[in-house]
Amino acid sequence: MLSTVKEGAKQMVKLLEKFPQERMKHMISFKQTQLDRFRRVAGLQVDNKIDSNEPNLSINEIKDMLNRSKGPLGLQRDVLKKIQAVIPRDQFTEQDLKRQISSLENIMSNKYKDYYDVGDKLYKPAGNPNYYVRLMDEINGKKKETFISAMKVIFFGK
Amino acid sequence: MLKSVLDVGSCFYKLDSHSTLLFKSLKIVNQCNQIRLLSSNIINYQLQAKEKTQSKRKIEPLVRSKYESKDYKLPKWKESLGEFVISTFRLDMDKVRAGPVAGSYYYSICRKQGLQVEGEELSPSAKYFYETLRLPRTFSQWFQITVLHEWMLFTRMRAMPFKYGRNYQQKLVDRTFSDIEIRLFEEMNIHSGRIVDQYLKDFDTQLKGAVLAYDEGFYSDDSTLATAVWRNLFAGRKNIDISLLEDVVKYIRSQLYILSRMSDREFALGKFNFVLPTETVKRLTPDEELQMKKSVIEKYKKLEKSGLMLPSEKSNLSYTN
Repeated sequence: MLSTVKEGAKQMVKLLEKFPQERMKHMISFKQTQLDRFRRVAGLQVDNKIDSNEPNLSINEIKDMLNRSKGPLGLQRDVLKKIQAVIPRDQFTEQDLKRQISSLENIMSNKYKDYYDVGDKLYKPAGNPNYYVRLMDEINGKKKETFISAMKVIFFGK
Repeated sequence: MLKSVLDVGSCFYKLDSHSTLLFKSLKIVNQCNQIRLLSSNIINYQLQAKEKTQSKRKIEPLVRSKYESKDYKLPKWKESLGEFVISTFRLDMDKVRAGPVAGSYYYSICRKQGLQVEGEELSPSAKYFYETLRLPRTFSQWFQITVLHEWMLFTRMRAMPFKYGRNYQQKLVDRTFSDIEIRLFEEMNIHSGRIVDQYLKDFDTQLKGAVLAYDEGFYSDDSTLATAVWRNLFAGRKNIDISLLEDVVKYIRSQLYILSRMSDREFALGKFNFVLPTETVKRLTPDEELQMKKSVIEKYKKLEKSGLMLPSEKSNLSYTN
């Protein structure tokens, strides 16, 4: 029983390693936290090192993140305790892991984006056809935006 | 202490007087207690009465003015005056409609998804969010649920002609923040305007961040959308059940699918409502889609040809897309 859970967790780790990296730097990374979590279940070594490809966060960046996002609203100590009580603990059964593996596979294979295809109507919205292209360019760091295009958005909205 | 200071005789006297004093004070205390009991009884009674009236009063989502109540009917003279004003000044009804449709109706459906009312059972959608997904029952969590639904509407509003879509988005956001401001004062019992302002600013940053993350996920792939949901809706919960994450991604994509199949006219008139998270949306076959479009086109063509449309019902938005 235990060995099957470990095997399942190992499979999960393998899948998670293929999970795409986030394009933007966030305070917390889904891929990394889940990798750590399932590596622990699988009995694999948890590497605490940050990926060598990713530059380390400077103190100023961390300060900036903390300043921008204050603590969650209204979360006093007793509320936090309640939340902790509600959040499920990690006690996997074989079935649990199987379910989670198939879910992750579905997510990674773009099952729902393909099945519920919205077409160009929403991907190239009539009101602002370049909205998503510009957004993705900016996120991917293509630096296509100029001062003039920025001012255009301010005055005309698109 | 008393004995050491006073002689014995006076001590008795003093003790007696002390005891009579004590007796008197006890009496007063007793009276006070009785008064207190009485007053607490009255307060309890008042509270019970208040609770009774509160439980009797059914709280409708988002009814701040009488015009938004379902029972209210505009008097005939006001209606005809309105129609007269619209036709003589040739008001652009698509612009005017943004307030009642996006600001009132669409906001109300976003708001009620995660709304919890004290003393009332959770709605089916709220049950899904708080019980199935096991999200904490807090105000900020309600805000995150609302933002997710508003963002879905934003994606559709972007597909409307720019000036109308933008107006719809603006009205939706305006209403969200004015409602939150009132609720922070009334429901969360915050008395300081400064603190409410801070919260509003915080909610504003949360909204911008969530919309950016969801947009990125929507356009790129399901994995990115799932991480956006994990960061925002689940607040980065480490022990996440990934099948729940899949469920939410499916929920979002299915709602967007429905939105993409609606014509501008129908959406702008407020014909959309969210499908419950517990229900599954089936994709339409090409034939079904064609038939649906045909029936919508026929319906609006007939209406326009009949000449029965009131000036307030007219719209320039397309019903063919």
